[in-house]
Amino acid sequence: MNNLIKDIVITGLSAISSAGIGISPLKELIQTGSDAFTEIPSDVLGAEGYFWGKATGFKVSDFMSPMKARKMDRSSQFAVAATGLALQNAGIDMKLIPPERVGIALGSGFCGISSSAEFLTGYFRSGVEGLLPMIFPNTVPNAPASNASIEHGFKGPNVSLIQRFCSAETAFLMACRFIEEGRADVMLTGGTDELLPIILKGLCALGQVKRSSVPFGEGCGVLVLESAASARRRGAVVMASVESVRSIGMLVKGHEEEAVDLLSNRLEECSMVSFSGSARDVPCFRSLAPSLPTIDTGNHIGRSLGMGGLSLATLVASLPEGERGLHLSASPQGPYYSVAVRGGATV
Amino acid sequence: MIRKRVVITGLGMLCGAGKDVNEFGDALLNSSCGIEPLDIFDVSPFPSKIGSQIKRYDPLDYFDRHTAEKLSRSDQFGVIAAGEALRDSAVAGVYSPYQMGVSMGGGAAGMFQGEFWLKSHLDGIVERPSLLRGILPDQSTTDIARTFKLGGYQGTVATACSSSSTAIGWGADLVASGHQKMVVAGGVDTLTMLTFAGFNSLRVVDPAPCSPFSLGRQGISLGEGAAFMVLESEEDALARGAKIYGRVLGYSMAGEAHHMTAPDPTGLTVARVMRDALQYSSVDASMIGWVNAHGTGTPLNDVVESQAMKIVFGERAAQVPLISTKSMTGHCLGAAGAIEAVATVIALNRHIIPQTLSYRGRDPECDLEYCHSGIQKTDCKIAMSNSFAFGGNVTSLVLSL
Repeated sequence: MNNLIKDIVITGLSAISSAGIGISPLKELIQTGSDAFTEIPSDVLGAEGYFWGKATGFKVSDFMSPMKARKMDRSSQFAVAATGLALQNAGIDMKLIPPERVGIALGSGFCGISSSAEFLTGYFRSGVEGLLPMIFPNTVPNAPASNASIEHGFKGPNVSLIQRFCSAETAFLMACRFIEEGRADVMLTGGTDELLPIILKGLCALGQVKRSSVPFGEGCGVLVLESAASARRRGAVVMASVESVRSIGMLVKGHEEEAVDLLSNRLEECSMVSFSGSARDVPCFRSLAPSLPTIDTGNHIGRSLGMGGLSLATLVASLPEGERGLHLSASPQGPYYSVAVRGGATV
Repeated sequence: MIRKRVVITGLGMLCGAGKDVNEFGDALLNSSCGIEPLDIFDVSPFPSKIGSQIKRYDPLDYFDRHTAEKLSRSDQFGVIAAGEALRDSAVAGVYSPYQMGVSMGGGAAGMFQGEFWLKSHLDGIVERPSLLRGILPDQSTTDIARTFKLGGYQGTVATACSSSSTAIGWGADLVASGHQKMVVAGGVDTLTMLTFAGFNSLRVVDPAPCSPFSLGRQGISLGEGAAFMVLESEEDALARGAKIYGRVLGYSMAGEAHHMTAPDPTGLTVARVMRDALQYSSVDASMIGWVNAHGTGTPLNDVVESQAMKIVFGERAAQVPLISTKSMTGHCLGAAGAIEAVATVIALNRHIIPQTLSYRGRDPECDLEYCHSGIQKTDCKIAMSNSFAFGGNVTSLVLSL
């Protein structure tokens, strides 16, 4: 599908990752070519030499009271903090905007899995006496978006999506559409993911954690999408405008060329490309952008299902005024996304 | 942008009240309850021992052994129900594969298998890692796309109990906007120890079959299943001579921003979403014949939903039946919205308003028409279907013949 976007701008960004809090530490990490991986404690996987992109710099007490933090899972804490930072970055005061006109569409990676395991562990170990009802609401993947909406008062469209390594891009597409249709003036979008020992153990059992491959990471990247009219009304600083979102679900045998044509998305007009998920490993994507400057946040902070928001936010923050950037994201079995943005467009 | 009219050209259903669309349609007509004692796992420690399980389910009735072993229970349900809808529509090969997509709502997904892995892991036993393959709901979406060679949009809505109604609304929008020629949209979820123990721990599971809008109701009965509909533009469907079951006229969704588990007691957000859905559908409230409620049977939900009906329909509220097919199917969580949307389309086609089963007496706080006494014959052509979720997610669909 080829969704040409008009009059949707990006007015705010935020990032929580193993690089630290904010886009700047992430950009610096990429510019210096270093990474923010730390060794996974050996008791997690029963072996040494494995790494992860753990957001160790995130101190939840900087963002909420201990009482509130206790009720939320880690990815909800990320989402509440990152949406708050993004609103701040966009200069949006929720008291000055109808809450029904602000929504959230968030890619949710492994959200809910650790809470599910914790809840079930109580039952498997101690029967019904071991059940902790307080954990149960955090077992749903929409807990991060919902907690963010409760905390900040977003009463517009509210949705959480999962689609492999493209969870954030799937949410981005929907957020654009909600603004295009007039369902909201402002949509917070992106993705969030947490990385806790039980998730690592599961991934390891599935053979997806290897010493030689790019480590898994965690964090939250949020973009504030806004209708150009809304941004103009409040005199917002526009960081970029969205030009198109293209996607296919999977490559179909005999129709590969059709897919590459669709996803190439006027690449010749781009000055920068960002990769997310397994996009760099996809032959058709590799051949699309052989000589352009590229950003691959996964190599610096780790990959995971909802990390596309961090990649997109980094691309937007790195694009010079007027330049076109392309964000390419993929998962081994699909889907595939190509999102075009133009830096600093005026409204 | 000119919006295309979106029609439904195929239906698929698999749940405790019926293993396909015909069986489920008959269950609707006969007011058959699919809530029975559970044997899917050990429920003896819990006060409630019932639910709507797909009984006598043998994957080998649908898949070869190799495929069945690869797919989680949830993935199997999804492929079966989406397959029924796609075969019914005869849409295979009609469009380019990249113009045909999947929009699915999911819930606990392959947690049923994942629980075996976790239990073994805790006991120090090494289990098959393949038990974790379907742990996330997007696996079912991928499996549906792969099985039926649908190369277009692929997305999984994960907003708990409103997931699949949102997936249908969104799927319809992908067709209405011309971004896809065909979307198979719906949802899937299975009974799991996680959700069974979880809702029991919150004390919202009724030990008897759930009795929405009744006096003395104590909560939900859990269920499982999958339901899908094939969505195409009216012009494309007519051009290929497809059978048309009805239309998705529009939808709306929002977050209440109130509480993770309790609905806003005023019903204002629910009413706003229902009104917005009508507006997006270009339908006046006076044209709505009945509403398939979220209708869980929890004391608070049913009062809030009744209150929202009064705000939306005003003096006419008591003449617009608010029924709950969850009294037949149980609460199928991530699949609930899709099961109820497909149930609504089937009921519209059979010109009935389904009965809300297991009546226990009149609740003075639920003072509308709930069809507790039996199905009603109707000639109305438009109905709504509501879905609410943990986190305050609210979705409302407008469906018509």
